[in-house]
Amino acid sequence: MINRRHFLTTVAVGTASAAALAACGTGSSTAGQTGSAENPVTINYTWWGNDDRAERTRKAIALFESKNPDIKVNGNFTDFAGYWQKRATEAAGGGLPDVMQWDLSYLRDYGQRNQLLDLSTVNINTDAFEKSLLPSGQIKGKTYGIPTSTNAFAVYYDPAKLAGLGIAEPTGKWTYKEFNEFLTEVGTKSSGALFGSTDYTGVWWMFNIWLRQNNIEAFTEDGKLGFTKDDLKKWWNLPAGLRGTPAIVSEERVTQLAPKSPFGSNVTATEVTWDNFMAGYLADSGAKELKLVPVPSDDPDNLGLFLKPSMLMVASAKTKFKDAAARFIDFMVNDPEVGQIFKTSRGVPASKTQRDGTTFEGTDKLVVDYEKSIEQYLKDAPEPPIVGFGTLETSFKRVASDLNFGKLTVDGAADAWFKEAEDLIKQNA
Amino acid sequence: MTQSPTLSRRSTQSTSPLPRKSRQQGVDARAGYTFLLPWLLGFIALTVGPMISSLYLSFTNYNLFDPPKWIGLDNYTSLFQDERFLQSVGVTVSYVVFGTPLKLAAALAVAMLLNSKRRGQGFYRSAFYAPSLIGASVSIAIVWKAMFGDSGPVDQGLSFFGINLGGWVGNPGMTMPMFILLTVWQFGAPMVIFLAGLKQIPADLYEAASMDGAGPVRKFFNITWPMLSPVIFFNLLMETIHAFQIFNSAYIISNGEGGPAGSTLFYTLYLYLRGFSDFRMGYASAMAWLLLIVVGILTLIIFRTSKSWVHYSGDAK
Repeated sequence: MINRRHFLTTVAVGTASAAALAACGTGSSTAGQTGSAENPVTINYTWWGNDDRAERTRKAIALFESKNPDIKVNGNFTDFAGYWQKRATEAAGGGLPDVMQWDLSYLRDYGQRNQLLDLSTVNINTDAFEKSLLPSGQIKGKTYGIPTSTNAFAVYYDPAKLAGLGIAEPTGKWTYKEFNEFLTEVGTKSSGALFGSTDYTGVWWMFNIWLRQNNIEAFTEDGKLGFTKDDLKKWWNLPAGLRGTPAIVSEERVTQLAPKSPFGSNVTATEVTWDNFMAGYLADSGAKELKLVPVPSDDPDNLGLFLKPSMLMVASAKTKFKDAAARFIDFMVNDPEVGQIFKTSRGVPASKTQRDGTTFEGTDKLVVDYEKSIEQYLKDAPEPPIVGFGTLETSFKRVASDLNFGKLTVDGAADAWFKEAEDLIKQNA
Repeated sequence: MTQSPTLSRRSTQSTSPLPRKSRQQGVDARAGYTFLLPWLLGFIALTVGPMISSLYLSFTNYNLFDPPKWIGLDNYTSLFQDERFLQSVGVTVSYVVFGTPLKLAAALAVAMLLNSKRRGQGFYRSAFYAPSLIGASVSIAIVWKAMFGDSGPVDQGLSFFGINLGGWVGNPGMTMPMFILLTVWQFGAPMVIFLAGLKQIPADLYEAASMDGAGPVRKFFNITWPMLSPVIFFNLLMETIHAFQIFNSAYIISNGEGGPAGSTLFYTLYLYLRGFSDFRMGYASAMAWLLLIVVGILTLIIFRTSKSWVHYSGDAK
């Protein structure tokens, strides 16, 4: 049978290897092909992010190339949603880029399916990493990803906007009821000119944190859901009275502003999300200063927070330049100068070498200080979530959006999401 | 018209002796197939091959990484229990049903305006044709999104007349009219074909009708419409098939998600999301084949009905 994929792969691999042979001549089997200053090898590196991250990444690549004249890095980036569609196509064609920025949500999908290089087989220094953080890049004894940095969930707010409305800055010690009241106050005092926030219940990770606040794990060890439909209904009912009021920005606005966030567009006063979005939000909104406080919790001793690898560095299992890929990953996660370039825009550097070599000032210091301030509440980082988690995360956001459009009731939304989740888990079983 | 050279050559050949004719035909055929070969190879490798493999995949559970697993008709049966699938069918059908006739009406109207003899007609024809050249492009979809966004030109223009709809892009009730406007605006291709058809209608028919005292409406329904019906039929077919395949603009305007509230979840977009976001290639393949079958049946139905309303000048006499 003619299979286009196999056909194209054969042709592509044939052409690529012929070209590589012509260019390099030699290649060692363990380290992959290596280059020299006169005849450098080129590795492809891809990441997701906004313009701000692209600029920083370009600086880091230039620095790497000047330190490693035998390697050229060819960089490429897209936004987060398009990123995964592209990777799927590439993986199917056997052409994943050599080195990639990765997200915990997709580590199992690609790692368990032998698409990623086991990084314990190459030379990457992980001595400067917290031992509790590394397992989140590992599956069944193999290391597929090295965390670049950590992030934690937080509530962002713009102090200038709150001062303009005459609202006191929050302390971060609040229950969900108090948080809802705060959002309502923003909407009321601004007479609708400024919304409180986006619907915080539409973000999977915030739900995950709420589950942990209630001592529930999102997934069981055998890859099933650890919570019930009633838990989800309870969650989506938390801000039930706020939807459609100025406390929560309408889904119409959210759609129109996408891919920019309402907070970055100065449409809301607060946003509940990862603390490493700080640099992006500052660039997008042009605000002078943004601050961070912990997420609400009904149990003041259990905030359900954890440090997650904000992103990981991975390599393709099929890369021909293992040695070059490893050196680039090592550089990106350990080099102090890279820390100086990215500051906290990828999260707080995970490697102590990089963290100590970076000076954090102003807003970056706020992010580092925030992660220090919640240290006593932190729990273990979650394991790489189940296969297909990326899809679940996307559908969670979509169903919550339908809920905000008033297309679904809370019960209907919970039914819809559970149906998709169960279907997906059955598919991948 | 383009066929006349071949016709005349064949007629001269038929007078020559038989052996010579068949030898000549053999050489012709071989030359023909040789010239055809590059296209034929591409067609087999890039169209027939993938089609056969997608037919096979539609009966499997295939996630792009692991080998496909045969599951029979499961993909096809689960389609009809999938609410998102049914939603995508609804969105696409309403787009085809409203978008296609409106586009054809616009194309015909403009073609009739441009059919008169006036100075600078060449310029007008090019100007009206231009949108259909660039209409399907990525940049136009981005411009469209900006135009119909909050405080975009459309919102501001309507507000000037006291119509406050807000941005169309984020409003589930307004996204479909926006997409229909986008397709109607690209009426250039059918317009050019209509224009060519209009030029074929003998002017003496209109003269005779004028002598008999027929007005413009009467002339349109009794001369233009029947004389143009084969062209209308052709355009209707092409545009209907084309409309089912809308993807680029939907993908860009909705950030590849089919939002807001699933109102732009076109069939092909959902197919794409199933395949490349959810890694369910078998399911996506089943959707592709179902679309092919449905479009095929619709084409057949349009062909059947054509007997009652399409008038070919040859067979009426």
